[in-house]
Amino acid sequence: MTSLGLDVLFKGINMQRLLAGLWVSLRISLIAIAISIFLGLVVGWLMTRKNIVIKAITRVYLEIVRIMPQMVLLFIVFFGTTRLFGWNIDAEVSSVIVFSFWGVAEMSDLVRSSLISIPKHQYESAYALGMSEVQTYLSVIIPQTFRRLVPLAINLITRMIKTTSLVMMIGVVEVLKVGQQIIEANRKSSPNAAFGVYLTVFILYFIVCWPISMFSKKLEKKWS
Amino acid sequence: MNWEVIQSYLPLYEKAALLTLKIGWLGIAFSIILGFVCAIIRHYKIPVLHRIVGIYIELFRNTPLLIQLFFLYFGLPKIGIAIDAEFCGVLGLALLGGAYMAESFRSGLESIEPIQTESALSLGMSRTQTIWHVILPQAISSSVPAFVANIVFLLKETSVFSAISLMDLMFTAKDLIGLYSKTIECLAMLVIFYLIILLPVSIVGSIVEKKLRFAGFGE
Amino acid sequence: MKNILKKIAATGLAAVTAIGIIGAGTALASEDADTLYRSVDEIIESGTINIGVFSDKSPFGYVDEYGEYQGYDVYFAQRIGEDLGVEINYVSTEAANRIEYLQTGKVDIILANFTVTPERAEEVDFALPYMNVALGVVSHDDNVITDLSQVEEGQQIIVISGTTAETYLVKNNPEIQLQKFDTYAAAKSAFENGTGVAWANDNTEVIAFAIENEGYTVGIDSLGSADTIAPAVTKGNDSLLSWLNDEIVSLGEENFFHADYEATLADTYGLDYEDTLVVEGGVIAAAEEAE
Repeated sequence: MTSLGLDVLFKGINMQRLLAGLWVSLRISLIAIAISIFLGLVVGWLMTRKNIVIKAITRVYLEIVRIMPQMVLLFIVFFGTTRLFGWNIDAEVSSVIVFSFWGVAEMSDLVRSSLISIPKHQYESAYALGMSEVQTYLSVIIPQTFRRLVPLAINLITRMIKTTSLVMMIGVVEVLKVGQQIIEANRKSSPNAAFGVYLTVFILYFIVCWPISMFSKKLEKKWS
Repeated sequence: MNWEVIQSYLPLYEKAALLTLKIGWLGIAFSIILGFVCAIIRHYKIPVLHRIVGIYIELFRNTPLLIQLFFLYFGLPKIGIAIDAEFCGVLGLALLGGAYMAESFRSGLESIEPIQTESALSLGMSRTQTIWHVILPQAISSSVPAFVANIVFLLKETSVFSAISLMDLMFTAKDLIGLYSKTIECLAMLVIFYLIILLPVSIVGSIVEKKLRFAGFGE
Repeated sequence: MKNILKKIAATGLAAVTAIGIIGAGTALASEDADTLYRSVDEIIESGTINIGVFSDKSPFGYVDEYGEYQGYDVYFAQRIGEDLGVEINYVSTEAANRIEYLQTGKVDIILANFTVTPERAEEVDFALPYMNVALGVVSHDDNVITDLSQVEEGQQIIVISGTTAETYLVKNNPEIQLQKFDTYAAAKSAFENGTGVAWANDNTEVIAFAIENEGYTVGIDSLGSADTIAPAVTKGNDSLLSWLNDEIVSLGEENFFHADYEATLADTYGLDYEDTLVVEGGVIAAAEEAE
């Protein structure tokens, strides 16, 4: 009978270590998400302005993010910046920078498309009723934009959480790396640990991401 | 920047780019087929299968490709299912992509009003004819933007193949950095090669998106 | 059509910007790169030393089930921390990252089973050695590879990216197809799962693997030249380098590395390998014989 290698999880504090590892990647994504939401709102609003310079810059920025794999960006920030500029950025900070860089782009694009999806006559009617620009935004545009935006933004959040699994590749000791360490330290006593440990990591990610995407689906249904 | 170094690395990068392309496109092709089948199963609520497909889609949409690959490549052999790295890469990408494609395609199917099916049926078209001539063309064209976004996303995801030792662009760059410490050259070549692979897709994607808008109904 | 042109223009511009940033950076590159290390005084003042070790290479550097770093390299690292009077921050490293971590100042010392080679010595500074090593090749019992010529076309040998085994095979046996992995954990898992006919690595490592796992034989126990393993610091970090050298010499007086071996490696290798593996006081056995 082959064992499924789940026993290693109950040795010492291994399960806690895995969870702590998961927290490392979650923490990176949470910080990046906070930055992305905040800056994304600002940049997204900027994008709807008719200024040609802003348009050009944001367009180029979006294209870079769209084309470059996050892993490449991670390598450039983690190894490249030290080589190029002499900045020594630690792996977790590099990850936050890269995921924010990516998140702000995606978020601002969502904000922009939600904003322009509001028909022009809504603005015009608001002005005709004598509302100021600020009033128009606060009580007419933002509430409508919000409903379109939130489900999409939550979707982006799960994508960011999933993508933070890449930080292992630049040496952050997160859940997958801890998993490898556990497999290595128990190679002799429990040769099938790879199955149990990777399955556990897989399920852990699912437990984190699934409720969030369910929530976003629900909101989308409710508000559409 | 040392041009001689770049020249000497060039063949290695070319080989890696070909591998990235090969696995990427194979995976994408299978993911489209898989996504298509799954979407139809989901949309027409085919019994039993529809539940299984639902679970599959949720599982693979809510876990990272990197973890999926680790499980497929290192975990499964422990229970007797050994697969080679390239196959594993294609499989991983197809499974991940299939889940995404299925959702995009399904929302395309759902965007078509039931009245269209009813009208087609009342015109004397058979069920198959209706699906083939009325529903699918519209569903496909309305899910094209999402399809293109998925393809770009999947091609970018190939960068994690390095974790299961496929000598793709990412691994080649890392390996060369480890061997000869020419970090800047290696990173610059990495960026350029990804641009070569992804720029055309991104551009062609936006052209296709425009051309296929013809089926927009009632706008 | 206009929109497509715009799109092409934007993507093109994105490409140019990306390349431009790299190009501009390169121009600045050489000047700043070499002041990234911290001297001994700076390390003591900060109260923490960053030491790069393996976290998946039992019994040299690994993490136990309580999350503590263990192994032959770690035992030495622990002592360095004590003697400097600072806390140790262990940085988990992969083989291919070791030089990079030093050159970018992400760690002060690499103690990750780092074999001394002339190529590496151009990139980093090695202190005195503390272990002997050569290359070895382990294979499955049913197809023991005792000579590299046995590797048939279409068969692969597993190596870990950034190790001396990789460099050696790339240079001396370019006809052999290599299957490269970036972590020890990944390489071992794949080898167990039947990828590759053999695994080439430091002989210490492959011997340990064959002892710890059933069904494997070390067919080639010494390939290439006999080398040594030593701590490495960022090139030019002379104060830390000379501190380390003094430390290794003085530790020799108390037979520290023999104690290290007995505490960490004896379980795996038994005591037979003690004198072949351990280098005490930075003095290589061959040199001793010559005296």
